[in-house]
Amino acid sequence: MIPGSSAPVIVLNTNTQSDDGKRAQLANIRASRAVADIIRTTLGPKSMLKMLLDPMGGIVMTNDGNAILREIDVKHPAAKSMIELSRTQDDEVGDGTTSVIILAGELMTVAEPFFTMKIHPIIIVSSYFKALDYALKVAEKIAREISIENHEEIAEVIHSCIGTKFSSRWGSLIVDLAVKAVKAVFINRNGKKEIDVKRYAKVEKIPGGNLEDSRVLTGVMFNKDVTHPKMRRFIQNPRIMLLDCPLEYKKAESMTNVEMTKEEDFAEILRQEEEEVCKLCHAIMKFNPDIVITEKGVSDIAQHFLLKQNISVIRRVRKTDNNRIARVSGATIVNRPEELQESDIGTKCKRFEIKLVGDEYYTFMEECEDPKACSILLRGGTKDVLNEIERNLQDALSVARNIILDPKLVPGGGATEMHVATELTKIANTIEGIEQWPFIAAASAFEVIPRTLAQNCGCNVIRIVTELRSKHSEESKDAPYWGIDGNEGKLADMRVIKIWEPLVVKKQTFKTAVESAAMLLRIDNVVSGISKKEKRQGAAPNIEDAEI
Amino acid sequence: MSVSILGSRESGQNIRDTNVRAVQAVANIVKSSLGPNGLDKMLVDEIGDVVISNDGATILRSLEVQHPAAKVLVELSRLQDQEVGDGTTSVVIVAAELLKRANDLVKYKIHPTTIIAGYRLAMKESIQYIKDYLSVKTESLGKDAILNVAKTSLNSKLIGAESDHFANMIVSCVEAVGVVGPNKDVKYPIKSIKVLKCIGLSAKESVHLNGFALMTGRTAQGMPTSIKNARIACLDFNLNKFKLQMGIQVLVNDAKNLEKIRIRELEITRERIQKVLKAGANVVLVTKAIDDFALKYFVEAGAIAVRRVDKKDIRKIAKQCGAEVLITLMNNEGEEVFNESSLGSAEEVTEERLGDNDFIFIKGMKKSSSQTLILRGANEFMLDETERSVHDAICVVKRVLESRSVVVGGGAVETALSIYLDSFARTLGSKEQLAISEFAESLLVIPKTLAINAAQDACDLLAKMKMYHAASQSSSEEKKQEYKYVGLDLANGKVRNNLKAGVLEPTISKIKSLKFATEAAISILRIDDLIELAPKPEKERDGH
Repeated sequence: MIPGSSAPVIVLNTNTQSDDGKRAQLANIRASRAVADIIRTTLGPKSMLKMLLDPMGGIVMTNDGNAILREIDVKHPAAKSMIELSRTQDDEVGDGTTSVIILAGELMTVAEPFFTMKIHPIIIVSSYFKALDYALKVAEKIAREISIENHEEIAEVIHSCIGTKFSSRWGSLIVDLAVKAVKAVFINRNGKKEIDVKRYAKVEKIPGGNLEDSRVLTGVMFNKDVTHPKMRRFIQNPRIMLLDCPLEYKKAESMTNVEMTKEEDFAEILRQEEEEVCKLCHAIMKFNPDIVITEKGVSDIAQHFLLKQNISVIRRVRKTDNNRIARVSGATIVNRPEELQESDIGTKCKRFEIKLVGDEYYTFMEECEDPKACSILLRGGTKDVLNEIERNLQDALSVARNIILDPKLVPGGGATEMHVATELTKIANTIEGIEQWPFIAAASAFEVIPRTLAQNCGCNVIRIVTELRSKHSEESKDAPYWGIDGNEGKLADMRVIKIWEPLVVKKQTFKTAVESAAMLLRIDNVVSGISKKEKRQGAAPNIEDAEI
Repeated sequence: MSVSILGSRESGQNIRDTNVRAVQAVANIVKSSLGPNGLDKMLVDEIGDVVISNDGATILRSLEVQHPAAKVLVELSRLQDQEVGDGTTSVVIVAAELLKRANDLVKYKIHPTTIIAGYRLAMKESIQYIKDYLSVKTESLGKDAILNVAKTSLNSKLIGAESDHFANMIVSCVEAVGVVGPNKDVKYPIKSIKVLKCIGLSAKESVHLNGFALMTGRTAQGMPTSIKNARIACLDFNLNKFKLQMGIQVLVNDAKNLEKIRIRELEITRERIQKVLKAGANVVLVTKAIDDFALKYFVEAGAIAVRRVDKKDIRKIAKQCGAEVLITLMNNEGEEVFNESSLGSAEEVTEERLGDNDFIFIKGMKKSSSQTLILRGANEFMLDETERSVHDAICVVKRVLESRSVVVGGGAVETALSIYLDSFARTLGSKEQLAISEFAESLLVIPKTLAINAAQDACDLLAKMKMYHAASQSSSEEKKQEYKYVGLDLANGKVRNNLKAGVLEPTISKIKSLKFATEAAISILRIDDLIELAPKPEKERDGH
């Protein structure tokens, strides 16, 4: 680092490790490829699951790219940045978490020869960005629009998206759940489409039963029982009241001390506390509700009063659940019973029922008019299976949301990527200068998706990919739609086998992958182990760690 | 004879060599990040957090530089970052080069003070020369000039590929926050620009919004997501149940009164909210908490309430929408009132969802000058770096808009100065002459590094540039005057007229970086002794 000889001059903290120049660049490439390799086998319909054991001994079983990478503890900084990508993808579109990593890894890999050839990283990066621009245009061009009113078509897309998942065995079940749930929470507010799956479509998992028993409720459910066994557990056309205050005696916020001098005073205070609760209950009873649901506690005495009036009470409901109930029943959540109004009572829910499922009580509020929220009830063998199905469902929900928000589709099965690759190769001929090479490399990087698909379904990779490539270079109208049928391991027209993916997901995948690869390629120096604290072993990353 | 000290001591030529080497090492670290073809550094701390950056100041700040002389350089880049916001890398490189050359002179037995005097003189001359001959008024260049300044700053960064998009955004952003000061000069307070980061989409989809954005959602789901003609109240107290101050106890003699206290507590907050709502507020921003029970009143009134708004943000919002940040509702008479005059107004307040987060946008504020940039990108590291780059560009644009003067980038200024100083040195008969010509030579390190980073033939390019600049300075022909704008074209490995190519930097940034670099070099050069005291042994803590 220091020119000249004589005694070394210590400029930096001696704890730090520094990698620079080509070494750092190659290490970054290797690390990102290592990450991509981990999840390579989880792409496509013949994908395999990964089983991850966390430090606490818990098991995660999944083939969701993001879920896998989230659990893995990598040390190499470049690998870390790769893992972030799948999170971004998950946050933004909720699907395609595996392909983004594979694509980014491949973009890094194809850049490696250029480093050996001493092509400046800036040139590589700028031609990658150029390739991205064209790729997005190509994807846009082969996209087709569908009508969001058409249930079947949406179902088809979701079907092809989650066809790669564990739950695909149950056919259209998950798809139907997703479509129904998204339709339920879809709100069109003067042209502004709003789909808040996170808040208003809750997935409730109950181990046991068959997966076929899963369904989307026209209402909500939650894991609670009435506070007193004598209360009614089945009510038709209930009047629902939602509270977020305790039905018990509240102490004042300020410090209040009571000084008692007489014995009667003590009784007086007790009586008053009771009276307070009684007053609360009376305020509630005035509106004649059938069900009272509160987020806080309910004292025994309040239970007693309400029970006498034949009111069912459910306590300690979660805030998020209460919000959903408010949406389906049309009730307003009230804090002070004294301030109740008739309009606060919800009547839109037609059936209230508490059922024993497994060995726990669940409250079902169903048959709601135009519910703007829903619960999705999942049943199935074990908790691990349910967890994985829930992840699949989340993906399906995001796909459904994406389609409704932006109803444009591109062919799946690697067709889009292959088409992008072919088109880019054509465009590459028009590019002057050294930039052409990385551009061609970027084009070929897109082929990694069909290649991996082919690999995972166990067919002859080279033959099938070359065949696909030649199909795409044909000047016919069908060219962009040829892809790999992951189940059969053969080429197929994606329009025939109906494999489609939302355009937004594809676009986001391209963008995220290219941008992050560009960022990592620009790095020429990695300094690690910076800290002011005492030395710790293992803070410095090394490449071997990233390779698991 | 030597005084014994507890610790180590280095002096004379030794310490100068050490300092130069340390400084050189620091410069070498950031050297490869200079210019449009500069690369980034990845810095990993002990926990494994990653910073990816191209910004000299950020890199040096994150490194733990231990050597005292090297620390001066770190400070230097920080200073440049604060004062100008851009050019943090080049200032370090120039300072290191100045120092190296000065040290060589000292070896020829020229006294450091003579060198210092020479450097000072050279610095003054160069600044004068920049001001007189090299700077160009933006008025003469048209509107594109400012865009080009932003682009020049961005080009060297990660988002360089999207520099068009970002430059447009940044320029319109900075122009929009312009405020006419008392002396009729326009100021551009960059604090009014809020930069928000949101993971997802791509860098190109970063957007510029006219208005202010808060990175929080509305407090209750029952509230509307959009309010037109918003009347904004800014409160700096909590809307929890009223609570007496710590240590105050209420002694209740009659148990009946206990209940009254309880009800009163609720009522006080309710009354406060009613007062605010009655005054016409439909957007209520609170820096502290809002109790759940209080939310109902807002929901019923169809108002948006936001809790835990950052204090800095609320002040800005208040200033721009004409509201008053109230720390209490109390008036002079001890009554609680909320005047309509304390409300601010905005055309629209909406909640929107970007990526996985909710944002509250306040658009079209009364005295609006506030702008928001929402940056998008693949992951956090990228967003952080984008934010830094955008900050640099914003600073640069602000400088240019305020000073209305630019210089040509791409090594043009440095080469011109170098030629000029060289001939200037020859007019002096003293020893300073040597120092000044070294100063002139040192400046060339910038074009040299630029060329090296771009993997171009530095010697060849430099020779060509020197030729053009010498021609422009020695002749008064109009055509040759144009040659003073000749700088490097790094993509093609040629020289070109960078004024036409639009490679521009703010004059003030160049001048300041020259000043800072010289001062830093001088202060290190003056050192001829380094005494490092050994840490005091713990044992000496007696006497207690």
